[in-house]
Amino acid sequence: MLLIDKLSYRSKLRYVNASEKLLYAVATLALCVISRSVRTAMPVFAVNMVLTVWKGGIPLSRYMKLLLIPAAFLIAGTAAIVVNVSAVPLDAFAFPAGNFYITGSRAGLWQALKICLTALAAVSCLYFLALNTVMTDILGALRKLKVPALLIELMLLIYRFIFVLSETASAIRVSQNSRLGNRNLRTGIRSFGAMGTALFILALKRSNALYDAMESRCYDGTIRVLSKEYPAKASEITRVIVYEAVLLLVWIM
Amino acid sequence: MKQEEKGYNENWVIEAQDVSYAYEGNEEKALDGLSLKIRRGSRVAFMGGNGSGKSTFFLCLNGIRKPDSGRICIDGKPIEYTRKGLLDVRGKVGIVFQEPDNQLFSASVYEEISFGILNLGADEEMAGREVERVIRELEITPFQDRPAHALSGGQKKQVAIADILVMHPEVMILDEPSAALDSVHARKVEEIVEGLTGQGITVLMATHDIDYAYRWADEIVLMHEGRVLRQGTPDEVCADGRLLAEAGLEPPAVLRLYGCLKENGMTGNAEKLPRSTDDLISLIRSGGNKRTDG
Repeated sequence: MLLIDKLSYRSKLRYVNASEKLLYAVATLALCVISRSVRTAMPVFAVNMVLTVWKGGIPLSRYMKLLLIPAAFLIAGTAAIVVNVSAVPLDAFAFPAGNFYITGSRAGLWQALKICLTALAAVSCLYFLALNTVMTDILGALRKLKVPALLIELMLLIYRFIFVLSETASAIRVSQNSRLGNRNLRTGIRSFGAMGTALFILALKRSNALYDAMESRCYDGTIRVLSKEYPAKASEITRVIVYEAVLLLVWIM
Repeated sequence: MKQEEKGYNENWVIEAQDVSYAYEGNEEKALDGLSLKIRRGSRVAFMGGNGSGKSTFFLCLNGIRKPDSGRICIDGKPIEYTRKGLLDVRGKVGIVFQEPDNQLFSASVYEEISFGILNLGADEEMAGREVERVIRELEITPFQDRPAHALSGGQKKQVAIADILVMHPEVMILDEPSAALDSVHARKVEEIVEGLTGQGITVLMATHDIDYAYRWADEIVLMHEGRVLRQGTPDEVCADGRLLAEAGLEPPAVLRLYGCLKENGMTGNAEKLPRSTDDLISLIRSGGNKRTDG
């Protein structure tokens, strides 16, 4: 979470118009999920990797590590499709185990592969957006799409305060550690609880103080802010449209 | 309303009369019959221990807290606690809070600064221009594209001041602006504050640094237990050691040093008391020539 945030501020694609990036990511994601075809998934995955790593300048090793997170879920999830317990051996592989076989079918393997690839391709779309777009820019784009203001305001405040509170939490943790608060499991559990309590109270206090500060700047219940905009480029939009059209063709044909 | 306006002297930008305030559930009053007047365009240092009521008074000045009794006038008009009245007062009196993390609500510096001026009803084009102007003026440009959580304490403070400055307030309140800043950033904040006075903004500042208050302020307000212990020029306030002690303060170092030097005949008599170390140094240098006791 924090890593993605840091990387997004350093991305070389950061100053590309956020609505464009959002359009690209969502359209490609939709195509991936709807088509469920390996033929679209593979180019999508490849193109996103090129865009994020080469164009965006996100280090390849970081990108791979981030991809491992959903991959772990995928492997666990698809294992159930690949591996069956059955009285009759299936066509792909079979290991006898007592009266039964631990076995799998070719169709099952193919399906698992398809799911894995489409899921990874879909994730790569979201990673493209998350790693190359700053959160506040995404919110700006959503604002233009007329997403309800309440949702956007909540996201804005939550995003800001994730960092404020996590800083506080790590400060509390350091001070606990420096007083041997985590010398064993018992004190560790107690310290963790105490930190939770302290954080909760602090969060309340902070929210009151923030409200005062916002009110003193004439806050009236709606957060109005001006987002900095980076101009959309016609050439980029054209390329996105052509790309999506090609993907669509690849899938249909 | 008419009657009140009759006695209105336009020199006073803030007038507080017998203001009392107690936080909900607290027996003790945070403000207990506080009265003072602030001259337009002046720089006023508020001094006093923690819990002496400085911050509470500041919150009363732009209507965040409503006094239980007493009256506060801004520009000669009592604060009206209606939507419109409060909007009016908050447009005139801005507060830079002590802890920037409690003030900055957006991760984007640009969005953050645009908030106040948009609330005042500016259209987007004008707000954009003003935000850019303040960003340039307060030298925020080098880090304007960084998220709030990646800024240093001093940079956050600069943004916090920009937050208010963009609203063109008549009165800017700074609650311990240099707390927790290194000396480079503290100086930077001092420079910015200097610029505010240059623009004709009345500056009220809470501070614990009596040396700074002594050299910077036109007036010092000593506060104690929710009341004004003494309001006066730095010379008047700082000359009274007993009074300072009551507020838990020591006289400014430069005054003590000057007193000691004079007692021992090591410097001449100054027409004006030295306000800063530099003043004292030039006094000693020039005083050396005038010395007659050699």
